[in-house]
Amino acid sequence: MRLLVVEDNEVVADAIVGGLQLAGYTVDHAGSAELARNVLAVEHFDLAIVDIGLPGADGLSLVREVRAAGNGMPILVLTARYELQERIRAFDVGADDYVTKPFEQAELAARCRALIRRASVVPTGLLRMGRVAIDLLGRQLLIDERPVELTKREWLILESLAHQLGRIVPKDRLLQALAGWEAELTANAVETHVSRLRAKLGDAALIRTIRGVGYRLDETREEPAG
Amino acid sequence: MTIARRLLMMVIPALLALLIAGALIDYRLALIAVRNTSDQALADAARASVQLLGGGNGMGQLAAPQRAAVADTPDTNAQLLYAIAAPDGHLISGSTLLPRISGGSNPSFADARINGRDLRVATLRVPSTSGTTSITVAAPTAYRAQALRAMLSGHLLVDFFELDGVTLLLWIGVYYSLRPVRQLGAQVESRSVRELQHIGEAQVPGEVRPLIVAVNRLLELLQIANGAQQRFIADAAHQLRTPLAGLLAQLELLLSKPAAAGMQADLGTLRRALQHVAHSANQLLVMARAEPMSVLPERLGTVGLLAMIGAVVERNLDRADLLQIDLGADAQPAEVLGDAWLLEDLLNNLVDNALTYTPAGGHVTVRCGNEAGVVFLEVEDDGPGIPPSERLRVRERFYRLPGSPGAGSGLGLAIVEQIARVHGADLLIETGSGGQGARLRVSFR
Repeated sequence: MRLLVVEDNEVVADAIVGGLQLAGYTVDHAGSAELARNVLAVEHFDLAIVDIGLPGADGLSLVREVRAAGNGMPILVLTARYELQERIRAFDVGADDYVTKPFEQAELAARCRALIRRASVVPTGLLRMGRVAIDLLGRQLLIDERPVELTKREWLILESLAHQLGRIVPKDRLLQALAGWEAELTANAVETHVSRLRAKLGDAALIRTIRGVGYRLDETREEPAG
Repeated sequence: MTIARRLLMMVIPALLALLIAGALIDYRLALIAVRNTSDQALADAARASVQLLGGGNGMGQLAAPQRAAVADTPDTNAQLLYAIAAPDGHLISGSTLLPRISGGSNPSFADARINGRDLRVATLRVPSTSGTTSITVAAPTAYRAQALRAMLSGHLLVDFFELDGVTLLLWIGVYYSLRPVRQLGAQVESRSVRELQHIGEAQVPGEVRPLIVAVNRLLELLQIANGAQQRFIADAAHQLRTPLAGLLAQLELLLSKPAAAGMQADLGTLRRALQHVAHSANQLLVMARAEPMSVLPERLGTVGLLAMIGAVVERNLDRADLLQIDLGADAQPAEVLGDAWLLEDLLNNLVDNALTYTPAGGHVTVRCGNEAGVVFLEVEDDGPGIPPSERLRVRERFYRLPGSPGAGSGLGLAIVEQIARVHGADLLIETGSGGQGARLRVSFR
């Protein structure tokens, strides 16, 4: 996995590069949007971390350019400006996620991992995490490469959670996903299906309940990115 | 003091003085008029008696008994007294008490006091062949005073009503001409501190316009200063965050290197100190952001609290896991009008506070909903709680509960209170349900 860090501050850039290298990634660094543009034109990257406040052309215009060129690689935006508008604009121009400075190395690495994982699903339709593989095109769950029987409702829940890997999916969103299949559906029904799904996953993957908010499919952290 | 009052207070005494001066002049004029009229009447009476006696030459033929009769009855109470004196000076007829008035004019007039009565006396000299006969006539001045009173009271009454009328008209005039000024005042007063656009000059009276122009110039300066403050906050955020991010990330990197194995404790302390600096800088910037002047109307919108709770819980989940605290929610759909960014900071501070003070194994629950038409947002924990005696002080900037753990900035609840205030909401600090922990509720009135 090859990552590009576009950050003008040497101290920040050096720390990010070092941290991500420790996490097992190959990391390149560009100090300006212009340099990044040149590198991106000739090299392939699996993810880019772009600082918004770059000298010259800013990070947002770089993201816009990358998207305009048809490059769909995941982009994580770094922002020092604590502005809601800034974040909204970042998403508007095509960024996939944002992290506010100062950040924890572990958080940045986790965000990168989740973004890469989600992006990797697109060409193959296969989400791999540890012993679990979720085939989103074939609508199948594999544990240790063996298919596991799921009911339609269990699959719909797993699919919703897999699309938002590592993020909370609100309970009512799961309810909406199931609404087409069951006319009279209560929040309790979601819980029932989730607990059955948990039983089938065993200790291969974790569906976490966030009390009163929703559920989250947590990726296992043992497998380093290569 | 209002302009209207000042104007009336200046004008009414002047009007009163004018009225008094007018009354005095009226009195003098009436006095002259009444005297002239009564003198004329006396002169007429004197002349009439001359006619009656057949001219100056017949005077001497008046019978002696008549003389005596008249002379013996000096009735000073009569309406009209008279005395006719022969050229030699002896009284022919009438009252002996009347003085003869001499003077340049004919008849001559004078005031006299006879038997305690004030009289006006006129002496007409009638020349004849035997000399000059003088006819003296007198009338009480009481009539004159009566006439004067009647005349004056009429004048004064008219003057008094005139003053009333003028005052009323003045008041109405002042009230209506100052109406635009009052409207302007109400318009300015109804503005919030954030509305800094110009005051319209069109409807304002000319006298007030320079003031409005000056105020508008001041508003412009305020807008410029406000913009500068906004930019400063944004720049300061950038300037502080980036190096802090670099320092922290470098330190974390160092911590994960084998060479740092022997220095884990020291580096950990350093890291916590840096995190504290980063947190404090952040809180100060949020505090500045939440100043009423910094809250921009264009940033206000409908904020869904349910989704916001989801985002804030998600953001704090890793920390809650680390502290072994069960962070959850119990939220019903609710919306408020506000600044989404600030409200998220508010909730984030409430959750951060609860996580800081709740021991491992505790619970933190975020709630929102609508209770009796009032939208609320609250965070409850089952930690040690906030004693009632401290519930006011914890809202102060930089105040921390005695014995507080960790390295907080002491700004958390001050920020919550500030953001609540700019949203017209109240912060209520209570004991948690079951008599344990703290429940911090923000009610949007």
